[in-house]
Amino acid sequence: MDILSNWMMGLGVALQPFNLMIACIGLILGIIIGVLPGLGGANGVAILIPITFTMNPVSAVILLGCIYWGALYGGGICSILFNIPGEPWAVAVTFDGYPMAKGGRAGKALVLSFLAHGVGGIFGLVLLTFFAPIIAEFALKFGPPETAAVMVLTFSAMTRLGGKSPLKSVVSIFFGFILASVGMDIVTGKLRMTFDTVPLMGGFNFIVAVIGLFGLGEIFLTVEEGLKMEGVKAKVTFKDIREGLKELVIHRKVLVLGSLIGCWLGVQPGGATPASFMAYGFAKGSAADKDQYGKGASSGIIAPEAAAHGAGTAATLPMITLGIPGSPTMAVIMGGLLIMGLQPGPMLFKEHPDFVWGLIGSIWVANFLGLILVMAFAPLFAAILRIKFSVLMPIIIYVCAIGAFAVNNRMIDIYYMIIFGVIGYLFKKLDYPIAPMVLALVLGSMAESAVRQALIMGRGNPLIFFRPPIALPLMLLSILLFVWPSISSWRKKSAAKKKAGGS
Amino acid sequence: MRKADIIVALGMMLVGIIALGDAIRLGFGWGISGPEAGFFPFYMGLGIFICTVFIVITAVKTYRKDGPGKPLIPEGGLTRILWILIPAIGVVLLTELIGLHLATVFYLAFNIRVLGKMNWTKVILLSILVPLSMYIVFDKIFLIPLPEGLWGKGIIPF
Repeated sequence: MDILSNWMMGLGVALQPFNLMIACIGLILGIIIGVLPGLGGANGVAILIPITFTMNPVSAVILLGCIYWGALYGGGICSILFNIPGEPWAVAVTFDGYPMAKGGRAGKALVLSFLAHGVGGIFGLVLLTFFAPIIAEFALKFGPPETAAVMVLTFSAMTRLGGKSPLKSVVSIFFGFILASVGMDIVTGKLRMTFDTVPLMGGFNFIVAVIGLFGLGEIFLTVEEGLKMEGVKAKVTFKDIREGLKELVIHRKVLVLGSLIGCWLGVQPGGATPASFMAYGFAKGSAADKDQYGKGASSGIIAPEAAAHGAGTAATLPMITLGIPGSPTMAVIMGGLLIMGLQPGPMLFKEHPDFVWGLIGSIWVANFLGLILVMAFAPLFAAILRIKFSVLMPIIIYVCAIGAFAVNNRMIDIYYMIIFGVIGYLFKKLDYPIAPMVLALVLGSMAESAVRQALIMGRGNPLIFFRPPIALPLMLLSILLFVWPSISSWRKKSAAKKKAGGS
Repeated sequence: MRKADIIVALGMMLVGIIALGDAIRLGFGWGISGPEAGFFPFYMGLGIFICTVFIVITAVKTYRKDGPGKPLIPEGGLTRILWILIPAIGVVLLTELIGLHLATVFYLAFNIRVLGKMNWTKVILLSILVPLSMYIVFDKIFLIPLPEGLWGKGIIPF
């Protein structure tokens, strides 16, 4: 088996002592980032990208990846013990996790969350390990029109999942693309939207945007609500672990369902956050004891957590095979790879198999290592939250500023970061989704060159985007995805009208 | 809330108009080497413009029908945000003069003392130790130079 031998090689790379150490550091940093509200996976990774410039690519991506896996694990701790989501994807866990913890079973709630994460991660990993090579092989046939079609598909999937209004998602995407096009044009070398100012010539760096949008924006949201950290004390005992395992077996249907929803939403770019909500909704809808939900139902913890980790892991699949990140954090990791000179996409499998399989192997290792770390040290990580917010908050802003500056060593980036923070706050308040904007900012130049090359291929005829056999179904699917919600809501409305008219 | 919605949508519309204007200056048609430089921004700008027109129209409609709605920022929220934002901007301006790490010493001290109301020993300890450790990690171990400002180099000679 080709895949198995590659997989073993990847594990070998990941288990090298130095990489193992990097993974541990990454996971611990990630869990801390996940626990702290205001510091999320996306901007945690963004801040640490400058540090990885000096490392070799495999270790660098292991560090960045492990921060994400750690943040996925850590997000639940804050939600369950403090009723404050440490991460956006941990919001759905607060519904049942906090009531259970308050009912004196904090340990069990934590164990359930961690185990569900572990299982969800394994689902994502199996998908990744076995399908990545196949998809990469398939994607080798892609030309510019197909790449453009995949991107359209990505963004139309995002508009469906983002906020309440698809129009606002579209605005957010366009805004991201416009920001990405500021600076030098990649094809003709002309200066665009710089208005003869030097600072704008360098364009907007996505790392700075991510730090501002996710980091500062989140802090503004947190302080606006007047955060009070009043948590439940917790200890994880062996009894909790035993009980948690038992519960997992009882609720295995919810667990598998959640993981699968996660994998699906991770592959078609949705990310962990919508996945966790969707899984919670499904679990609640199919449960026999609906009134238990919201009061500390075990399945109410299992479903969203499994989905979140499944989505996070599965998001790696489109990133390394197609060069399209499945979640905002993945987008940032991919941006980091681009800076290191590695272009994610099908060619990566051919040119740097050691890198790709090292990455996949490291995710396997990190999944189990992370599980052990959170189980063993959950109370310790939770203790971080007992530090006063007025101490944590300036330190978070300080770290954000370091990250923003270090990307290009430009002072102006710190100002941009603050501006992006305000934009992020306004966007969040007014229901403009931020994830599509970040994705557009990262993919901007790639998408633009794909579109322009395709048009050159087609001599200006836009029908090239619909050429069979691959681009056509992709485009049709993306149009369907974009139009479907409005059609179905229209049908519901007309059906309701009919009902009202009939009775 | 609805007023803010309209204002932000108008702001986005402005972004679209700027992109459109610049794209027209650059040319958005078919040049010698395929699509010209303004091609992509033109359609992005057009898209954002059309979308924001719809958003503004629906927002104005709901505004007329249901009134302004809830305020954008809950009561007391704005003061709390400004307590974060204004010192943060102040620190960035201070960074231009004395460098990021030194500016942070004052920033931390200010926050911990004024907002956190901790005693002075803790204030001094925290606000010196945190930037110092960051300085060692970033500037010395990872060799990432952080802003020194105009006089920063003179103040920290090592």
